[in-house]
Amino acid sequence: MAGAGLMLSAVHPLTKLVICLLWVAASILVFSASLQLFIIGTAVFVLVLLERRSPLMVMALMVPFALFGFGFLTTSVLFRQESDFALQMAREAPLGSEALSAGVVLFLRAIACGMASAVFVLTTDPGAFVKALMVNWRLSPRIGYALFSALQLVPDLAAEAQQVRLARSMKAGRPPRRVPGPLETASLVIPLLAFAIRRASRAAVALEARGLSAGRPRTVIGAPVFGRSDIAFGAMALALLVVALVVVA
Amino acid sequence: MPDSEPVAAWQQASVRYPYQQRVAVGPVTIVQRQGERLLLLGASGSGKSTLLNTLTGLVPATIPAEVTGEIRLFGETVDERSPAEWAAHVAQLFQDADQTLCGMTVEDEIAFALENMALPEPEIRARVARAIEAVGLPLEAASRRTMRLSGGEKQLVAMAAALAQESPVFVADEPTAHLSPAAAARLRALMLHENRPQSLLLVDHRLDGLIEHVDRIVVLGPDGMVVAEGDPAETFRAHGRRLDDLGVWRPLASQLDAELSVAGLAPVDPPPCIAEMLAHLDRLSEEAKPLAAAIVEGFVARRLRHGTEVGPPLAQLEDAACAPLFGPVVLNGVSLEVRAGEVLGLVGSNGAGKSTLGASLAGLLRLKGGRREGPAGGMAFQNPENQFVTGTVADELQAAVSPSTGPEAQQKAAELIRRWRLHGLEQHHPYELSQGQKRRLALATLTATERWPMLVLDEPTAGLDAAGAQAVVAQIESLTETGHGIVVITHDMDFALAVCDQVAILGEGGIMAQGPVRQLLGDRPLLSRAGLEPPALMPVIEWRARVSC
Repeated sequence: MAGAGLMLSAVHPLTKLVICLLWVAASILVFSASLQLFIIGTAVFVLVLLERRSPLMVMALMVPFALFGFGFLTTSVLFRQESDFALQMAREAPLGSEALSAGVVLFLRAIACGMASAVFVLTTDPGAFVKALMVNWRLSPRIGYALFSALQLVPDLAAEAQQVRLARSMKAGRPPRRVPGPLETASLVIPLLAFAIRRASRAAVALEARGLSAGRPRTVIGAPVFGRSDIAFGAMALALLVVALVVVA
Repeated sequence: MPDSEPVAAWQQASVRYPYQQRVAVGPVTIVQRQGERLLLLGASGSGKSTLLNTLTGLVPATIPAEVTGEIRLFGETVDERSPAEWAAHVAQLFQDADQTLCGMTVEDEIAFALENMALPEPEIRARVARAIEAVGLPLEAASRRTMRLSGGEKQLVAMAAALAQESPVFVADEPTAHLSPAAAARLRALMLHENRPQSLLLVDHRLDGLIEHVDRIVVLGPDGMVVAEGDPAETFRAHGRRLDDLGVWRPLASQLDAELSVAGLAPVDPPPCIAEMLAHLDRLSEEAKPLAAAIVEGFVARRLRHGTEVGPPLAQLEDAACAPLFGPVVLNGVSLEVRAGEVLGLVGSNGAGKSTLGASLAGLLRLKGGRREGPAGGMAFQNPENQFVTGTVADELQAAVSPSTGPEAQQKAAELIRRWRLHGLEQHHPYELSQGQKRRLALATLTATERWPMLVLDEPTAGLDAAGAQAVVAQIESLTETGHGIVVITHDMDFALAVCDQVAILGEGGIMAQGPVRQLLGDRPLLSRAGLEPPALMPVIEWRARVSC
């Protein structure tokens, strides 16, 4: 198992990206509950058994996608607002009413797409991914490192938001709520925007001071290279998808 | 000794930012020689950072501004190349590591500038390894993401990245401002290493421990022009009074030198550091020593807090487990109390949990264990902007005084403006104020009512010049005289010594020690264990005690 996990992390990020996009495309284009379940099951298998992620964490990951999908489900069942195509496809599904069938497939599709993306995100080092994009797909280093800086900004923005909330709650004389209400959220916008703009400007200055500029040749060390593991992974993932599609058809 | 070849030169250079009436700095004429260690000093807003940023053309190429005069680097005018192209010749270290680092792994961060120089991969790897070794990071840290490092570790990585550039010029803008004393000392030792051949251009206000390693200082006045320059110790002796008036930081040795000079007991050559000054005092004749001891006594007394009468406890923590908002517990088993009229200092290394404990003491954070007693306290946050909620200074004060706008409330707001020296700023947006003005406004709003008998001040001197810091000391004294209990969170050990009665040293997931400030800040083994350094004043206190024995 550990060996399999190591194999997955050794796969080139762009190989994984292409494969994940193909699986997401299949999930979107093929309106079948069984295919969606197969994709979800495969993603859970990869994350829990190969990548040794906690099952609880994987379940928690599904929650936002499930909530998103639940919107489709309720819309289909209560208002029958889905497309004719969905209803036509659902007639062939053994899940009771057409509306319910369509809703269930749409619900599962949201989770399947989310979990396929999660496999990519959780098994890919962001640094390796950006380097691969710069080396193989000519992503501008300015954009690549700006993405890194933005990632770095997220936790700092959250910390800043918490400081502002503490200060506001001190003035209001009550402890901050776990989730801020709409009014509180609106009042956070300006201070956080000011923080983000100031921080982004300083980061831009620092990047330039460290020699980053467009159009100059630069070395990229430690960029991922394609190897046999990519062929093995790509062939296996594609074969699995083709078999699944044939079975569903 | 520095060679005579100039590496950088500003010739009648001045900078004006867009929409500003006055110039940010200049016109100045400064020449830095090869191998020279040059320190820029000046009060807040005198344009030190702007001047640093003109060196490689970041101003005006990246930060828009109008630059006049001539700036040359290695004989070329700076604008002949882009700031990025100058990176091969000039390594820059900024105040805040979070703005420098991109969130990559330690190895990638250090390699970043070298990759931009298009160096061959084997050379980059060799330089990265050397830099990691130089700053003392473990080799296994190379693969760690910088987002997961403490503030001190991040600044070390930024330092390693700058060292790896092996550039002939090294520029640093207050690189130790946010570091605990031990981390700051470590960074400074790396930067000032004797074997380092680089020319060093530095802005810093923590002068003790630094000034003896600097070849020359240039002092900028409030109008952005040079008011003094030369050998550090000589310049401080010759211009000490003027620098005090301008609010410029001075090293302790220079301040003591000024007092001894009045009695004719100062050494012929002004000593650059306190150790040399004390060695001079030891060499004085037995007849002169009592007078010197009396001067030192007064010198020390003016830099220590003379506590007012202490009242009942205002806030107490008992066996508390403290955690940041929605975060995990960072401090366990904390038992502390703050009394009326007392100042309690919280000191510790970066990430020790000082701000979390301060907010817990104020009752702003729910405890994860144990209990807190006492009314809620107010907190002046590290970033004062966090507590401003209105669009003008006047509205901010009005809201703090009373929700109504009656004549009594207006009178109270006017009194606050006078007391906290905010006149003329009433219609300014709080974000437009200088750092010192923002701190004063934050304190004014907290003391506008009797609502908060206890106040927590988080890094109240960060970003302030000497005059601003002195004003904070006076404000704290005034608050304790009116019966407030004060908690001060600081990295500045001399500031702690000047304002605190008691101090709690944080580390190892709890409170390592608490007690009288003079006793604990003189305990070197304890301070070392906590990642701290003794105050610069401590050797002077010890000398006085030794002489009186």
